[in-house]
Amino acid sequence: MTMNQTPISGYAPTPVAARMENHGSSMLKVAMQSGHDLFARTGSMIAYEGFVQYEANPPAIRQMASQWVTGEGMPLMKCHGDGLLYLADYGADVVCLQLNGDSLSVNGTNILAFDAHLQWGVQRVKGMAKFAGQGLFNVAISGTGWVALTSRGTPIVVDCGSGEDETYVDPDALVAWSTGLKMKGKRSFKASSMIGRGSGEAYQLGFSGQGFVVVQPSEDSTDRLRARG
Amino acid sequence: MAREFQRGHKAKISDLTAGTDLYIGVQISGPGLSFDISCFGLDAQERLSDDRYFIFFNQPKSPEESIQQLGAQAGDTESFRVTLDRVPAHVRKLSFTATVDGAGQMSQIGPGYVRIVAGGAEVARYSFTGAEFSTERAVMLGDIYMKDVWRFAAVGQGFDGGLEALLTNFGGEVLEEEPEPASAPTPAAAPAFAPPAAQASAPPAFAAPPAPPQTPQPAPAAPTPPPAQGFPPPPGSTPPPVAPAVHAAATIAAPIAPPGFFTGQPGVGQHTPAGGTIPPPPGQPGVPGQPGPYGQQQPAPYGQPGQQQPYGQPGQPFPGQQPPYPGQPGQPGPYGGPPPAALHGTPPHGMPQGTPPQGGTPVGVQAALEKYREAPTGQRWTLQNPRLIRVDLGTDPQPVLARQGSMVLYQGKVDFGYKGAGFAGRIMGNATGQEMQLMRCTGRGQVFLAENSAHVHPIELQGDAICVSAESVLAFDESLQHEVRRIEGHGIPGGALFTMQFQGHGTVVVKTNGVPVVLPVTPTTYADSNAIVAWSAAAQVVISSQVRLRRNSYPGHSGETVNLQFRGAPGNFIVVQPYEV
Repeated sequence: MTMNQTPISGYAPTPVAARMENHGSSMLKVAMQSGHDLFARTGSMIAYEGFVQYEANPPAIRQMASQWVTGEGMPLMKCHGDGLLYLADYGADVVCLQLNGDSLSVNGTNILAFDAHLQWGVQRVKGMAKFAGQGLFNVAISGTGWVALTSRGTPIVVDCGSGEDETYVDPDALVAWSTGLKMKGKRSFKASSMIGRGSGEAYQLGFSGQGFVVVQPSEDSTDRLRARG
Repeated sequence: MAREFQRGHKAKISDLTAGTDLYIGVQISGPGLSFDISCFGLDAQERLSDDRYFIFFNQPKSPEESIQQLGAQAGDTESFRVTLDRVPAHVRKLSFTATVDGAGQMSQIGPGYVRIVAGGAEVARYSFTGAEFSTERAVMLGDIYMKDVWRFAAVGQGFDGGLEALLTNFGGEVLEEEPEPASAPTPAAAPAFAPPAAQASAPPAFAAPPAPPQTPQPAPAAPTPPPAQGFPPPPGSTPPPVAPAVHAAATIAAPIAPPGFFTGQPGVGQHTPAGGTIPPPPGQPGVPGQPGPYGQQQPAPYGQPGQQQPYGQPGQPFPGQQPPYPGQPGQPGPYGGPPPAALHGTPPHGMPQGTPPQGGTPVGVQAALEKYREAPTGQRWTLQNPRLIRVDLGTDPQPVLARQGSMVLYQGKVDFGYKGAGFAGRIMGNATGQEMQLMRCTGRGQVFLAENSAHVHPIELQGDAICVSAESVLAFDESLQHEVRRIEGHGIPGGALFTMQFQGHGTVVVKTNGVPVVLPVTPTTYADSNAIVAWSAAAQVVISSQVRLRRNSYPGHSGETVNLQFRGAPGNFIVVQPYEV
């Protein structure tokens, strides 16, 4: 090969150092190994090396996620095999986390991948049902292993316990939060001020207790991976 | 216009600008290179006598916040804000330096610069290229120093030894080789660069109830309090390269850590077999927070090269004993000459073993999220990251007007009110229906504003005026006088371009899609009316329908686009985003 690769050689993958790593800010690299399966968002695979297989509609997920989606394709696929797997979600920032017995609730559209041996379950966010138009589902994950989240823009982590006041989050910008926080919906605009626009900052989720909330600097919470079919 | 400096040139800051609130931008880049750009606050002897004035990525501001590191923005690789009249008296010189992180040398860098921006305009620029350097790994770019008055000097002096040599030169103490996290986790190792109290205390505040102890404190149960093995080293010395066996002993005996709490430390050359083949029992609180580079006791961010968090526990599917991933010899690489990581080993692609597990850095959710933590409070407007800004309504209950829907999070008692229709109605007159609705944030608390992960830029007005395209306004202090102006022109979609002119004292937050460019107004300055973000109000806008020019440059384009031409005295500027709305 005579092509001069110098300009792009800086983008070669770095040697693997952990189960999940960032490659750049918006790409996730997972070191796959047999016996150590992974759940990933369907459609998030962008490349892989080695022998990685995908199971698009595993029974385990069908059970768990039956209330997450209504009918159309399952949101998660099971990946197994040996190799390197690269995942991304339309250029969103990727954050990988290692759980050490912690538990975390992640907005359904912000989850990218997690170790299959973690305990997880799909929950409907209480108090959000009445905010029609957006069924906010979250995935509660706990155990010891790796989780990768996506965030549109660099996220911010805010402590809830720092003040006596509650922390209010725009549901569209919410990425994840530590379980154990108390949550409630709040309507902050007075009825008289609801002129014109229906969205705005009309609804927030209030969090209180000891823990943290992860928020993305964007109110675009559309599920691009699912929209693609 | 910016004054161009050559190496060795000096000038009084007061000759450059009347302001004392300076923005220092550094651009330095090179193929495959990454740089650490730091600011040293030196005393009269040019020594770093107070290491709280070593401003770098782990310590982004000085105690009284007169020197702050702002991060990459506006085309600068790194930027600082220096408030000269708040710099304490014992700091006589601020030396801005860049060091190559990892392999590389300064001759490889492309054209770069150090610039000073004050009052919204660039007042000084020192440009350099790699041709001025050779094998240096660090360079002192410029100094702002006190000699009767504050002055700026373009330095451009290289250092062969990298950051360590720089630190030594300034009388600092080098704890560790820079790019690697420190090797031997030594509790309370009295790091040479003691972290400020605020940083040391940050992790505890963050701990969620179920989390294992994350704070870098010596474990109560740590049986072998590691002696100060060369910590702190004598000034200027490089650290001991390996963790002595003392550490391994502690590893074996440490009793309590939750599983998965270990972190391997490549860069620690050797490891005793104990740590490698017998994974340490769960319970590693003992070897606590590992001093990061320069002894900052912060959990290392996740995913750093050189960090390793193997599944090194008994019973874990990843026993952590496979051969290193990259190192399989004899396997032909699939693509000719791929990097080592692309070589497939015959054994499973498992957890590679740079080094075996070792106790050390707190890992887990908190550690991984540490770098996304909330920025310290203090100012009314704080840029949390390039796309998110926080306004603190606590200190000054002055209301803030923000674009509706831009709040992503708030804490405290904040009311969001609809901004009266008199103002909004005028804007809504826009025939395209691009309405801009504002909300008034009042009360006490912190509000985080962002929109669609656009870049946000706070612009502080001190009596001057700026025009901002209405679509680019994110928020502003209500104390600013603002009026809507309409620029009419044939061809502008909707018939007119709406801009808001702000004047007075306060802050306007402008959002841009992508990193914007700030251009000085010259006799031939044009901008696309869709891409223009803001301009200094003294510049005069002329509609110029340069249809032919546009048509040629965009084949197939309808030619409808209208360009705005700007005229004004030197010193005026325009801001353009790389995105046509």
